[in-house]
Amino acid sequence: MVKKEIVSFKINGRSYEVIVTPNMTLYELLKEQLDLTGTKRSCGVGECGSCTVLVDGNPTLACSTLAIAVRDKEILTIEGLAKGAQLHPLQQAFVDEGAIQCGFCTPGMIMMAKALLDENPQPTRQEVREGLGGNLCRCTGYVKIIDAVLAAAETMRKGGSQ
Amino acid sequence: MKEELSIVGRRVPRWGAYDKATGTAKYTVDIKLPGMLIGKVLTSPHPHARIIRIDKSKAEKLPGVEAVISFEDIPPKLFAPNRHDLILYHTENERKDMYVISEKARFVGDRVAAVAAVDAATAQKALELIEVKYEVLPAVLDPVEAVKPGAPRIHDYAENNVSLHLDFPLSMGDVEKGFREADFVLEETFRTSKQQIAQLEPCACAASFGPDGRLTIWSPAQGTFLFRTKLAELFDMPEGMIKWITLHVGGSFGKFGSLSVEPVCVALAKKAGKPVKIEYSREEDFSGTEARQTYVATGKMGVKKDGTITALQEKLVVDGGAYFTRNSTTTMLNMCGFTGLYRCPSVAAEADCVYTNVPTTGGIRGYGNSEATCALEQLIDRAAKEIGMDPIQLRLKNIKKAGDLDNKGLPMETCTLEELIKLGAEKTGWAEKRARKKQKGTKRYGIGMAIMMDLSGSHPAAIQHRNAYIKLNEDGSANLMVMAYDMGQNMPGACAQIAAEVLGVRYEDIHVVTGDTDSTMFDTGSGGSAGCYQVGNAVMKAAEEARKQLLDRAGKRLGLAPDELEVKDRRIYAKSDPRRGISVGEVARQATYNFEGEHLNISGKGSFSPTQSPPPFAAVFAEVEVDVETAEVKILKILYINDSGRVINPATVEGQVEGGIAQSVGYCLTEDYVINKETGVLESDNFTTYKIPSTLDMPETEVILYEEPVPSGPFGAKAVGHGTMNAVTPAIANAIYDAVGVFITDMPATPERIFEALRR
Repeated sequence: MVKKEIVSFKINGRSYEVIVTPNMTLYELLKEQLDLTGTKRSCGVGECGSCTVLVDGNPTLACSTLAIAVRDKEILTIEGLAKGAQLHPLQQAFVDEGAIQCGFCTPGMIMMAKALLDENPQPTRQEVREGLGGNLCRCTGYVKIIDAVLAAAETMRKGGSQ
Repeated sequence: MKEELSIVGRRVPRWGAYDKATGTAKYTVDIKLPGMLIGKVLTSPHPHARIIRIDKSKAEKLPGVEAVISFEDIPPKLFAPNRHDLILYHTENERKDMYVISEKARFVGDRVAAVAAVDAATAQKALELIEVKYEVLPAVLDPVEAVKPGAPRIHDYAENNVSLHLDFPLSMGDVEKGFREADFVLEETFRTSKQQIAQLEPCACAASFGPDGRLTIWSPAQGTFLFRTKLAELFDMPEGMIKWITLHVGGSFGKFGSLSVEPVCVALAKKAGKPVKIEYSREEDFSGTEARQTYVATGKMGVKKDGTITALQEKLVVDGGAYFTRNSTTTMLNMCGFTGLYRCPSVAAEADCVYTNVPTTGGIRGYGNSEATCALEQLIDRAAKEIGMDPIQLRLKNIKKAGDLDNKGLPMETCTLEELIKLGAEKTGWAEKRARKKQKGTKRYGIGMAIMMDLSGSHPAAIQHRNAYIKLNEDGSANLMVMAYDMGQNMPGACAQIAAEVLGVRYEDIHVVTGDTDSTMFDTGSGGSAGCYQVGNAVMKAAEEARKQLLDRAGKRLGLAPDELEVKDRRIYAKSDPRRGISVGEVARQATYNFEGEHLNISGKGSFSPTQSPPPFAAVFAEVEVDVETAEVKILKILYINDSGRVINPATVEGQVEGGIAQSVGYCLTEDYVINKETGVLESDNFTTYKIPSTLDMPETEVILYEEPVPSGPFGAKAVGHGTMNAVTPAIANAIYDAVGVFITDMPATPERIFEALRR
């Protein structure tokens, strides 16, 4: 029998205590234990970026990270990005620029873009391309996704709505 | 109809955008039902094997396992997983050759058993406890080998593994005479690759029987009502006892035009008496669900020195994989595409659809036509070289015009190919770039182009019947019930824009209810880019009926005849005196809450069965740089000029085109479907070995939306998404030809293949 323990997590500003097994991934913790289904799994082995969340601000692949490894760290998922009804500028820009189609890559893409803009608030188009190079999308051809990240950067530089 | 449009044509946020941006949108993989079990499927490790015995007893005894099923637990009915046998006029071209769980494994990945257990780990453990004794049979993995005498027979009925021989019904003239009249006759065999859909949401399904025996199924399938009928037949249930729900779909591109795990999931739920969900891993999705067919296409073209095309002939060997699925429709559309793009007095085509022991294929974005256009448009460039003519001039000499028959034999309402080609030539500076001095260095520039003509749904091949229902709420907003589920193409949004435009309300006033067979009317499903044109027309009719009721009621209040009224911005007013008016909300509320009698919930129903399938058109220009030392291709720019008729939402249409370009770039250059020749195992079964384009692989792209409204479309709209796979690949191939003078007949054009071609 796999050894279980009670572990505390800080996710989207809220504390949780969860019974976890040593082999439980962060993705499984979010989706199966906490019903935070916004984080998506597409490949399950860290090839596509769909499950990207932020751990202490760093982009992290939830499908390839053990839950235990992120105990007591600050975890931010797509569900924690908006402040109440106020969308994060990246979310708003993805809506406005038509950067979303099927939407399955969107949460990972937005979280990766947040990490990118936190690090580099004024990226060039090429820097956005490179920053999102590990996040696959099959619908959009990326044009409007890159447009959205650049638009959000602009909004945030102007001290925009968040 | 109002001339000035206020909502159609605007870049409004797509339907569901806020849900998707905030992580609240629900997909099939997100379903969690009380007491739900997790299902897993055991698949064959052999490409061809008879199942001698299955021992499930150890798996059944494992604590937490609630159902184990194999061939003998399944209704012994052969079925076709795609929906076409229900709606095609030529059903004799369809094949029922599949069991829900196989009695004989025909590819590595074929379903041989399934389990349902309390969690994924237990289900996985149970799979490992199922003992299967196989008699391994010789396998054949290549379609050309499969038809040779002595090849292993995959299905008993299919001699030489030919599942269907098709003679093209629209063949005409005398191709032999045409070839004799030609100054040049070109013949080339092309082999297109078996592209994976690689939609990001892996294949998934959930099924649950209620206490009354009613089944609810959650699935991303494109064609809810038809698949409901299929399940009803398989499980001996009346259709009304099945409720089919399609939530947000994480990409489909035609893949879910066939049933995949749904019947297995239902069988497990039935046996366990509890809800079951199956979610494939990426590897299971790649090997266990449909991919594009491989076409071995021998194209022959006769052309005169003045550029007149005298004859076109195509002979196809279609590798459909282990089961028939969508072979007839995709092959038919291929023939339409090859023979129907240009004016030509003599055309002929025939095909053998062939079984092989490789994973199944389906009807994937652009199906048939993508492969046909890829071959035809490369032949055109080669013909142009033979006769010393600019490829654009050769195209302009032979393209079809409005009034000609389209690629399916229907008269065209509009045809803008000439305009699109000329616009692209001007935009790219084609003439100067083609006349440039040939380079000597290792990096060689090239420019190429291709055109395409596609379709707006499956008329006249299949029954196409779409319905919409709209009802006004008391506040003047409206609920639109329509089977316009969203696979990413934003059909619900387009429908809402059309409805809002007709009703004179805001886009956000239209609440779309979709994806549920209980609350929407019958619909033959999306596929072949039928959505906007067909469903849009049904929505328009429904909204027009509601508008009529609305104006009738308003007219009575205002003392005016309905035709004296206009409705816009949620207000109904006299055309002669816009100050005299009443709000839509007030009319809607008064129609229900009044004490004078004559109660009415203002509503409308619209049905649409097409008599047209207006083709969208495109001209695509690609500029490349080929390194003759490394044989690498760098795409410098792609210009895509698109005519989808009236554009309902430019952001959506651009997005569809941009996505089609990306899938084509992968199809053309990097997406290589590799089956191990010894074992039959799919080796390219994840995103590392099967390389779909990332941001870094995408070239600069420019999309121009050329709008020529088509009279039969809703506000003049026709299709977009399907056809975007057609012309990019040959445009890139033609640019490579222009750069280094080699034709790549085997796709994808990997550096290895280009290197080999350069050496020859």
